[in-house]
Amino acid sequence: MRYSAILFSLIALLSFCHPAGAQQKKITVSGTVIDAKEKKPLPGVLVRSGKPSIVLGQTDIKGNFTVKADDDAELTFNFIGFKSITRKVTGPVMNIVMAEEVNALKETVIIGYSKKTKEVSTGSSVVITAKDIQDAPVANVLELIQGKVAGLNIQNNNGTPGMAGSINIRGISNVNVSGSGFLTPTSPLFVVDGFPVDDNSNYSYGFDQASPGLSPISLIPTEDIQSIEILKDAQATSLYGSRGAYGVILITTKRGNSKVPIIKYTANFTLAQPPALRKVIGGKGERLMRIDEILQNDTNYYHALNTINSTPFLSDSLNAYYNNSTNWQAKYFRSTFNQTHNVEISGGENKFNYKVNTGYFSQKGIVENTDFTRYNLNMNTLYQPNDRFKLSAAINNQLAYNSTGGGNSLTQTGVASSGASSSLLPAPSLFTASSGLLNTLSTQNDNKTVNITANLDLDVLIFKGLRATNSFSFNYFSQGTEKLTPAALNGDFNQLYNYFDRKNTLYNRTGLAYDKSFANKHNFRLNVFGELNSTNFRADVIQQSGTPNDQILGPLGYDWSKSLGGTLNNLSDLKTASLAAAFSYNYKQIYVLDLSYRMDGSSTNGPDAGYSKNPSVGVRWNFNKEKFMQSFNWLDYSSLRFSYGKNIVPTGSVYDVYGRYVAGGNYNQDPTVNLDYGVIPNTGLTPTTTTQLNGGFDAGFLNGKFSVTMDAYYKQVDNMLRMKDIANINAFSQVSTNEMSVVNYGYELTLTARPLPTDSKLSWQLSVNAAFNKDVMVHLPDNVSQLLVVDPTTGQNILYRLGRNSLSNVLLNTKGVYSSNSAVPVDPLTGLRYRTGGLVYTYFKQGDPAWTDVNGDYVLDANDYVAVGNSQPLVTGGFTSSMQYGPFSLSINGSFTAIRDVLNNDLASRFQSFANPTAQTGLVPLEAYNYWKTSGNNATYPNPYDYTRAGKVSPFRYDQTLFQEDGSYLKINQVTFFYNFKKAMIKRWNISSARIYVTAYNVHTFSNYSGANPENVTDLGRDISGGYPTPRSYTLGLQVQF
Amino acid sequence: MKHTYKLTAFSILLAALIVSVGISGCLKNLPDDRESIATNTQFTQTVYSPVLGRNTLFDNNFSVGNSSQPLTFKIINMRNRDGSAAPELTQLFPVQVWTSPYLGDEKSIAEIEAKRKIENHALFEVREHAGQFLMWAAARSTFVKTQPDSGYVFDVEMSNSGGRRYFRDFKLMPLKEREFEPSTLNAVTGLSQHTGLSSSDVENIIGAKTNKFLSGDDIEVQFHKVGDGNSLKFKFVDSLYNPIDPAQFNLTKWDKLVHGFNMEKTNQYVKYTVAYPVPLIVYQTAYTNTSGDKAHVVFSYDRQAYGNIRSVSNLKLDFAIYEKGDWEITFWFRNESPKFIND
Repeated sequence: MRYSAILFSLIALLSFCHPAGAQQKKITVSGTVIDAKEKKPLPGVLVRSGKPSIVLGQTDIKGNFTVKADDDAELTFNFIGFKSITRKVTGPVMNIVMAEEVNALKETVIIGYSKKTKEVSTGSSVVITAKDIQDAPVANVLELIQGKVAGLNIQNNNGTPGMAGSINIRGISNVNVSGSGFLTPTSPLFVVDGFPVDDNSNYSYGFDQASPGLSPISLIPTEDIQSIEILKDAQATSLYGSRGAYGVILITTKRGNSKVPIIKYTANFTLAQPPALRKVIGGKGERLMRIDEILQNDTNYYHALNTINSTPFLSDSLNAYYNNSTNWQAKYFRSTFNQTHNVEISGGENKFNYKVNTGYFSQKGIVENTDFTRYNLNMNTLYQPNDRFKLSAAINNQLAYNSTGGGNSLTQTGVASSGASSSLLPAPSLFTASSGLLNTLSTQNDNKTVNITANLDLDVLIFKGLRATNSFSFNYFSQGTEKLTPAALNGDFNQLYNYFDRKNTLYNRTGLAYDKSFANKHNFRLNVFGELNSTNFRADVIQQSGTPNDQILGPLGYDWSKSLGGTLNNLSDLKTASLAAAFSYNYKQIYVLDLSYRMDGSSTNGPDAGYSKNPSVGVRWNFNKEKFMQSFNWLDYSSLRFSYGKNIVPTGSVYDVYGRYVAGGNYNQDPTVNLDYGVIPNTGLTPTTTTQLNGGFDAGFLNGKFSVTMDAYYKQVDNMLRMKDIANINAFSQVSTNEMSVVNYGYELTLTARPLPTDSKLSWQLSVNAAFNKDVMVHLPDNVSQLLVVDPTTGQNILYRLGRNSLSNVLLNTKGVYSSNSAVPVDPLTGLRYRTGGLVYTYFKQGDPAWTDVNGDYVLDANDYVAVGNSQPLVTGGFTSSMQYGPFSLSINGSFTAIRDVLNNDLASRFQSFANPTAQTGLVPLEAYNYWKTSGNNATYPNPYDYTRAGKVSPFRYDQTLFQEDGSYLKINQVTFFYNFKKAMIKRWNISSARIYVTAYNVHTFSNYSGANPENVTDLGRDISGGYPTPRSYTLGLQVQF
Repeated sequence: MKHTYKLTAFSILLAALIVSVGISGCLKNLPDDRESIATNTQFTQTVYSPVLGRNTLFDNNFSVGNSSQPLTFKIINMRNRDGSAAPELTQLFPVQVWTSPYLGDEKSIAEIEAKRKIENHALFEVREHAGQFLMWAAARSTFVKTQPDSGYVFDVEMSNSGGRRYFRDFKLMPLKEREFEPSTLNAVTGLSQHTGLSSSDVENIIGAKTNKFLSGDDIEVQFHKVGDGNSLKFKFVDSLYNPIDPAQFNLTKWDKLVHGFNMEKTNQYVKYTVAYPVPLIVYQTAYTNTSGDKAHVVFSYDRQAYGNIRSVSNLKLDFAIYEKGDWEITFWFRNESPKFIND
């Protein structure tokens, strides 16, 4: 591999330059360029001529151009997204009509830091343009891509303002579970304008750490994005090697391209509504229900009376404290009104252009005391005095404030626990005991996130065909948190928590690229580059409790025992270095070959692991260009692709490799330094490696009327990091190893249709995509064939078993409910009924859940769990429809997820709230559920009212299939209706274009799921009641361009 | 031209085929979804000594380790110590099995019997998915080897979709029947060591002659099987084997004494029709002790004691009878009779 790269570079270097062209007579040509569909002038269209083509000029804001050209020259008009038009100069006036490009193969893609057309790229990638993501103000642009790319599974499962949902390209790449049922996130690598941004580090889940938890992608305003490209297979991502194993998403921001400065103003006014809240039983109804429950089900009548009378909450109905009907959920949730404003000033032409984007985005959360506000000032400029030299620079400043109230970036447990308080309790005030609500409302949580990026790109043409490029970027990302829990909420000692972190990233890429073409048939391109990356991160915390009062929060250090703080142990200093070479060859653009090879070293690699070497190969055959295919004129294009490649993501930390020293006690009055015996160093630690095979087929028919893209892939993720317990004879207790592997394989299909004839006044574009992905566990530590991951809080354990879907739920199988006592099975030998395990056991009776006795011993215990269900969706996809009739447009898009198992823990906990009628929790009406009422009932749910069973049988435990439901859904994400103002109407205000639109976002979810929202569940498919619901929003927007 | 067309179709198909074979070829190497058979799975008990004549369940004898459940177990090679086959343990015998739970509130013998039926089973079985062993009450020492014989040897096959494992040389060394408990018989030899037993508890009973408190040693309880019916008779006799009128135990709740029916109370005995075994299952009812494994009878009387105080006396016995028959339980006041009269 290495030698072939050297060989190709030698061949490339042996080539020569072309001689310059001869002089000719020049004339002045002027004219107008018009968009064929919208009949509007097109500004910024490049006018080129000659071979090699030279840019002569471009159209102004009214679409007019004036260029000097040879009298017999051919003028070529180029504009992104439009078919290029070449006309011979016929006279001094030329009017050009340009039509939109509908051939997907002519789309430009960026692969491995260099631009190509799709026609000659062998990888699998999808481009989303600004048009697809406009008109809905969301903080994180990825919310809007949901359902638009086959194989990109986005679940918008977190409604916290400024947070991202979960993003996976082609299935899961990590099966490690942290905390109580949260999957380790494996978001793809984001490359923003050529510079990698990591979304997987601590900020994605500000969960383990008390950081604001904002995703860096949330800091990019949607209005500033020109295009988003999703690279799926290993060939496409191969050159983003050092972190590209989870897929790569390229985000390109806008650039100026108009001689006359354009000022574009976008404003959105949004009403966000919380989803339908659950019904609760209020006031007297709740009290009577509780009393009735006790009287009906207590062990005897007198005990029941005693229970009621000794609970003033139930018996003392005249007490003003207990005589209420408080709607707790209404205290937490609110409808909010938000606005965003964005101004973009851009201008310039090829030689020099600039763009300034400044914006304000505000989103108040639908949970009280949560919000997200973003200010940004993004600037870029490009200077290209001639074809030989190009310099571009960008400075992006983003500042965000957010508050997560009393929760964190992922969950709002206060809402879950106190939102479910008894309605009998009085409305909150500092003198009532409902601290959960006050925690949400009065905890002062101010988070600040600053992101400053400076980029500098240099591009020099050394001689024809050979370009040297250097890209340098520095990023400063800093987050701060200040959280004050008032004294009244924390046992009369207020608590102040102050967090500050900073992350500096230095990135540099230097490369050489050489292009050569022989006789317009053999086209070569060789690209060699080296990449250096240095990231350091440090977080500090100060924690004070019991300051003088809630207003005076100092002085620091007044009481050393209550004044805590220091640098957190997630301090990191990561360095990576890479060297890569890529070679592309195509013959008449029919046969395409891509080869690349990349070596990556990382400071988290063990010294024994060395550099990881990642080759990739891609081939493409555009067989419609073959001679024998020429007769099929209904075929626009057709091609077959195949690729193979390897890719990595560094995992673990330097401590996993080299161990850790900790400060010890004093010895002879000298402080000592000890080894940390927690984790044994593993010097052979390697990055997670992804090996991917991809086969694809693209075709377009009938002049862009229909197009189809199909992909089949096999993706193997090896060397997944997992902490492993080791025998205690080792002195150390754990070791990090790379011993797990998962395979994902699947199929992706995208169909696009423009079913109406091109001359129809109504234009309609419809696109549907679907992806099938199946994951299989293929290797486990120590070559075992299965592993159980225990969840101590819910008991919903997870099984890793070879050959099975990698995350299986392990649950009791609920067959139904025992309709009568005689339905309970009896042990034929002992004559005893089916019972619970343990020393003190309970026999099952009517109204109890009928759980399968897997091992047939008539005892329900740990042996009776079965591995069922798959928390990962098997099928995901979406659809987009956009219609245009004159100035009116209507676009609808939706997404779907099918064949996925969701655990409805929320419903389970609602039933569980009946388990203790004297507890001050909220009760929900159960009429909607078919529960067991009396002997002989054939019910779905066990008897919720017999609270004496709760502690013994726990009929509503989380770990049973009763609460495992099908989480398939079809969601209408966005419906936008917009109107483009007629040019004549707005001209008098000097406005070149204006549009007004109405958007409904998160419109409706169709699902059989019994819970609130099958999407708003954790990555492991658990519908936890503490999740932050996703709002439905209605937006009125205006976009004006001067 | 036609020929070219075919070639085209062929080459496109070929390319598509290569891609699909390439991808599906990878899938071929994926491991099958097979259950796990772990090496740390084991039986924690290898020698089983059930007492014949009663249903015995050996549980907590298996540690599943990292194997996937459900596992399937099979007893194989049931053999004598010398390796010869032991058909008596593999043949099917009619045994009594429960079909509905016995709860202790049944109103008649017929109601109890309706909850049991006869099925054919091998006398020594393994629970198919649990690995527990069970010996049915139908096993008798008349045809099953019992200790002091060294008994039987057998192997167990454990399997699931992940494969199978064999556990070898389990020992089955049954003990002879002991028809009632507490027993007077030696567990290994089956020979009687005593004529009778002590009662479980003697409270506040004083002798009619000496006015001294009687202890357990003064009262011998004797079990006798006198016929093949299904009755249980309680008798009280003085030192000379003269009957004492049960009515003297005036506080005794005769109708709740045992779970029996058709009580026949004379001045010599109290007799019930009962379903055997007694107690029917190991389950706490009004007629059993707290652990439910023995019937619990209390004979009680009160009298006016010295100093005009009321004295309540109790004679208690916890027992179990495993064999159907007409059983007599005799309380023999060996030295002197209890004092029933007032002081």
